[in-house]
Amino acid sequence: MERDGFLELRGVASRYGATQVLTDIDLSIAKGEFVALLGSSGCGKTTLLRLIAGFIGPSAGEVKVRHRDVTHLPPDKRGMALVFQSYALWPHMTVAQNIGYGLKLKGIPRAEIAARVAAMQSLLGLDGLEARKPQALSGGQRQRVALGRALAIDPEILLLDEPLSNLDARIRLTVRHELRALQKRLGITAIHVTHDREEAMVMADRIVILNAGRIAQQGTPEDVYNRPASAFVAAFMGAENVVFLNGMPQGDQFMIAAGLANAAGNVPIAGRPLAAGRVEARFRPEAARLFAADELAVTGPGITFRGEVAAVSYPGGHWRHVVRLGENEIMADADRAFAPGASVCVFVPAEALFLFNSPEAASVSPISRAASGKVHA
Amino acid sequence: MSRRLLGLLLVLPALAVIAFLFILPLIMSAVGAFQVEGAFGWGNFTKTFDLYTKDIIFTVVIVSLSTVLIGIASVAIGGYLTLGEHPVAVAILRWLYRWPMFIPFIVVGQILRTFLAKNGMMNNTFINLGLLTPLDAVSFLDWRGIVIAFVWKQTPFVALLVAGAMASINRDTIEAARNLGASRLRLLVEIVVPQVAMTLTVGLILSFVTMMSVLSVPLMINAQSPTMLTADIAFRVNSYGDYGVANALGLISLVLASSVAWIYLRASLKERA
Repeated sequence: MERDGFLELRGVASRYGATQVLTDIDLSIAKGEFVALLGSSGCGKTTLLRLIAGFIGPSAGEVKVRHRDVTHLPPDKRGMALVFQSYALWPHMTVAQNIGYGLKLKGIPRAEIAARVAAMQSLLGLDGLEARKPQALSGGQRQRVALGRALAIDPEILLLDEPLSNLDARIRLTVRHELRALQKRLGITAIHVTHDREEAMVMADRIVILNAGRIAQQGTPEDVYNRPASAFVAAFMGAENVVFLNGMPQGDQFMIAAGLANAAGNVPIAGRPLAAGRVEARFRPEAARLFAADELAVTGPGITFRGEVAAVSYPGGHWRHVVRLGENEIMADADRAFAPGASVCVFVPAEALFLFNSPEAASVSPISRAASGKVHA
Repeated sequence: MSRRLLGLLLVLPALAVIAFLFILPLIMSAVGAFQVEGAFGWGNFTKTFDLYTKDIIFTVVIVSLSTVLIGIASVAIGGYLTLGEHPVAVAILRWLYRWPMFIPFIVVGQILRTFLAKNGMMNNTFINLGLLTPLDAVSFLDWRGIVIAFVWKQTPFVALLVAGAMASINRDTIEAARNLGASRLRLLVEIVVPQVAMTLTVGLILSFVTMMSVLSVPLMINAQSPTMLTADIAFRVNSYGDYGVANALGLISLVLASSVAWIYLRASLKERA
């Protein structure tokens, strides 16, 4: 089958009134792939999904399925089914009627509808509930009915608009795996909109991160997690700690100059487009290693910060410390607790340290760089 | 204790108004319906059914037909306001459809009298457009006129309720059906209307009861027999001073009106169960 370009978006843009919601979206999705559209609220991910589904037309660009232009086709002519965040079950219909409605619209004989609805019910674990109305179902059951209604018409592409966000946290974890297993079993192409990073990581083959209506980065979960392409992606993927450093490339290493709170160090460039000057360094709390000031044992390339513990808490599994580095505060996890006020060293290994040239620093001279440094330090 | 007394005192004026201006006259006219020259009996009712059986049927048919047409028209208006894709047309309809609500029944009767008469505006327009010859022109000032007047006057009210209910249903339920390929008509009939069924029923029942009590329209438009019960009641009282038969006719109207209210109560109980 077609591995590439089963569903293709080319230069898609969308406008709502004067607001540009989506800009220049290029996306190619293979058959059977599970793609997560990840972004914070207002980034345009739901708009993109509704645009793919055909509820809104793009202001520019085209949508293709199997190389066929579907940009101006109505929602039901695209071979797609959408599962709504609110489930959107019809309250006046029973479970069986809800699931079978799409088949009824296709003019399929009653006996066959009944058989397919029954098969869908047992696939989704809804046996015995066919006569219930949606109000008499639990949240998880409603979600499965919504899924059954979408799958009953045998779509080629399943669109999921935050389908798990209305479920209890505990149910959500199991439903993630159920949904993923079902998608694999049916071999259906799925596009899943979510703002939950972990959900996207666990479920998707590929994650597409959206920021302000543009694709910030796309790749496998490991890719976007370990090799974020921009400071935004790094922050969104959990690297919330941010420190500004100065450095310059030298061969295949990036040399970091000693600063007020950090020792000099070097990390491999590994193909990153880093220019000399001020860089934004980001890392996750769990990637940092915490030592008492006098027992530092550096094990490989990376960078070491000196600071003082400002607060400590126990979120479970490890101790989380707020460490003051000069005027900055960062978070760092450790297996043992350091008392507030203790002097500590924070070591961040090279592979967990994400460096980006800060946009305002890239073009300015060294003198004004120092001046702007005061603002951020 | 004093607080309870104060509460009772506060509702007393309202209670008194209801008791003396509504419940008491109702009981008195109900009792009056069974009184013939000082004694209790069925006389008024036998007389009523002898004279007015045709009018009772006429009233029920006219009001039921009007209710059905109002239902269809208000669903069509509400449906277009909810599902219409032409924003200008939707805006114009939204602005236009409420106007008849603010026009009193008597004025509606007057307008339609000049509009529907044999040489009225409607027939004149058709004749001038060449759609009708003057010989074929007929007056609509009979049962059809009453139905047109009722539908014209009551549709905006029901449409207002229905359109409000339609606007508040979850839009996703409409889009989910569109996603599966439902046409606009199916969306309206199978997805939207069932979700506003209760509101539609309430609106239609209120309209039914209102139409049962309109006197001006049958008097203005249908000055012949058979006519509606309201005109008969007015006639019995004004021309003969015959309160007994008038009360009997009133009681029959009340039974007809409360039978639809009973349908509503039963439906709402079923909905809650």
